[in-house]
Amino acid sequence: MGRKILVTLYRDEVSPRFDLCSEVLLVSVDATGHEVRRQDLVLAHSSADDLCDLILDREVSAVLTGGIEEEHYHYLRWKRVEVVDAVAGLAGEALGKYLKGELASGDILFARLPDA
Amino acid sequence: MHQNILMNIDGLDRADLPRVLSELPFGVAALDGERRTLFMNRALEGLTGYSTAEVRGVPCRHVLRGSFCLHGCPRTACPGAEPCSVEGTLINRHRRKVPVRLTSVPVLDRDGAFLCSLDVIEDLSALKDLEARLSRTAGPGQMVGRSAHMEHLLRILPAVAQSDATVLLTGESGTGKDLLAEALHRASPRARESFVRVNATPMPEALLDVELFGQSGGQADGGGARPGKFQLAQNGTIYLSEIADMPLAQQGRLLRLLDEKAVLPAGGDRPMRLNVRVVAATNRDPEALVHAGLLREDLFHRLNAVRLHLPPVRERGEDVQFLLTHFLNIYAAKFRKQVQGFSEDALNQLSAYDYPGNVRELRNMVEYAVMVCAGEQVLPEHLPPHVRLPSEQGSSPAAARKSARKKA
Repeated sequence: MGRKILVTLYRDEVSPRFDLCSEVLLVSVDATGHEVRRQDLVLAHSSADDLCDLILDREVSAVLTGGIEEEHYHYLRWKRVEVVDAVAGLAGEALGKYLKGELASGDILFARLPDA
Repeated sequence: MHQNILMNIDGLDRADLPRVLSELPFGVAALDGERRTLFMNRALEGLTGYSTAEVRGVPCRHVLRGSFCLHGCPRTACPGAEPCSVEGTLINRHRRKVPVRLTSVPVLDRDGAFLCSLDVIEDLSALKDLEARLSRTAGPGQMVGRSAHMEHLLRILPAVAQSDATVLLTGESGTGKDLLAEALHRASPRARESFVRVNATPMPEALLDVELFGQSGGQADGGGARPGKFQLAQNGTIYLSEIADMPLAQQGRLLRLLDEKAVLPAGGDRPMRLNVRVVAATNRDPEALVHAGLLREDLFHRLNAVRLHLPPVRERGEDVQFLLTHFLNIYAAKFRKQVQGFSEDALNQLSAYDYPGNVRELRNMVEYAVMVCAGEQVLPEHLPPHVRLPSEQGSSPAAARKSARKKA
C-alpha cells in the first residue's frame, strides 16, 4: 500500500521551522518505496494549525521537518502521523535517507567543520 | 576613546575569547560570513539544546531556528558594520518555543575586514511572562465592548479601581457583573491580595454568620477558630454577588463593618480589625429593593459610593455584532474550525433576538453555532432552535419576542 510523505521546505532545504514554512513537498510512494508522484505546494500563509490540517486532509503518513512545537508534534503523533523533526539538511537528501530508513529525528545532514 | 583604552591593555590580543564568552549569562554565537555556526557559548547551548561540537559549520538558521532567520535575517536586513537587533522566537531541540532578542554585531579587524559575526541572544521568557501578568492585572480582563456605555465604563474602570471606595454593581443576570468585580480587583492596588467571592445563598443565619464573619476559638460545641470570608479577604477585595439575598441581620453587621472597619467573629468578644474593599452586586433595581424592605437603606447608601451599571445586551446596540464576532473568533480557535463569520440571514436573526440571558446567552449561542457549523459561515440552521424557528407572521420568534417586549 502506498503512502505520502510531506517535507516542509525553505528554498531547497528542510524548513528550520514547521510553523513558518510556506512551501511543502508532497511525495507519494508505492508499497516498495518507489516514488510515484511529487507535488510542490505553496501555502497561502505560514501557520502550524493550517499545516496540520493539510497533513490530515491529504492523509500524509510521515512529516519531515525542522523545529516543531511540542503541541503540534504531539497532535500529529496522536493522529498517527510519523514526525521526523529537528532535521537539518537538504530536502532531497533528507527524503532519500528517510526512504532508505536511515533518517531519525535530530539528524544534521550538513557537513560539519572539524574541531578547532 | 574606548578603543584606545583597550589597546593599552597589554596582551589583550592573546585573550582566551571563547572562555570569556562562555561565562557570559546570555547566549553568544560566532558565525562566519555565510552565517555558519563556529562557536556557541554555554548559555546558548542550554537555550538551543545543541552543543558547539554537534553544529560547528551548520547554517545558524538550523541551529537557532529563529522566526527572524526565515523572514528577515538580521545580517541581510542590515548588511553594514552596524549592530542590528530583532525580536522573535526560536524553537529549541526540546520543541519549546522561546521568545528571544537577537543582536548581531559584525567583528572587523583593524583594517575593517570582516572576521566573523557575534550574535547575542537574550531569553525574553521572564520578561514576556511579566508583561502578560501585568497586562492581565492592569487591563479590563475579559470585559469587552464598543458601545458608548461600555467604552465609558472601561475608561473609568482604572480610576474606580485605584480608589478604595465601596462599589455597587447593577445589571441583569449575564451582563458581566462578576467579571467587572474581578477586573476592579485586578486593576486595584489590592491585586496581589485575595479576591473572595461570597454568594449569600439562603442558609440558617447562624451558619451564614460564621461563613461570613468567622468564628472565635473555644466554642461550647468544641469548634475551633475559623476564619470567615471577610477574614480571608483581609487586605484584598470581597465581592458580595447578590447583596439583596443577604438576610437583614447580616446586612446590619455588614453595615457596622463598613463603618467601623472591624468585625466581631461569632462567639467572640473582641472585634477584629479588617482592611477589606467591598464590591457588591445585584441584578435588581436597588432603590426598589430598599422600597420593598429587602435591602437596608443605610447599607444601600454606604454601598452606593460608586455605582456602575452594566447595560443588558439589547441596549448595547452595535455591541451585538462586535460580541458575536469576538466570541466566534474565540470558539473557532478553540474548536480548530475554519468558521470565518455569520451569513447575512444568521446575522439578521441574531440581531433581532433580544438575549434575555445577555452576554452569557450570546456566548453560549455562538459556542453552539461554531460547534455545529462545518463550513466557513454560520448559517441560520446552525443557530439554536429557539432563535431560528420561523413564526406564523413570517418573522422569526426572536423578532416577535423582541417586539412583544417593546410593546410591554
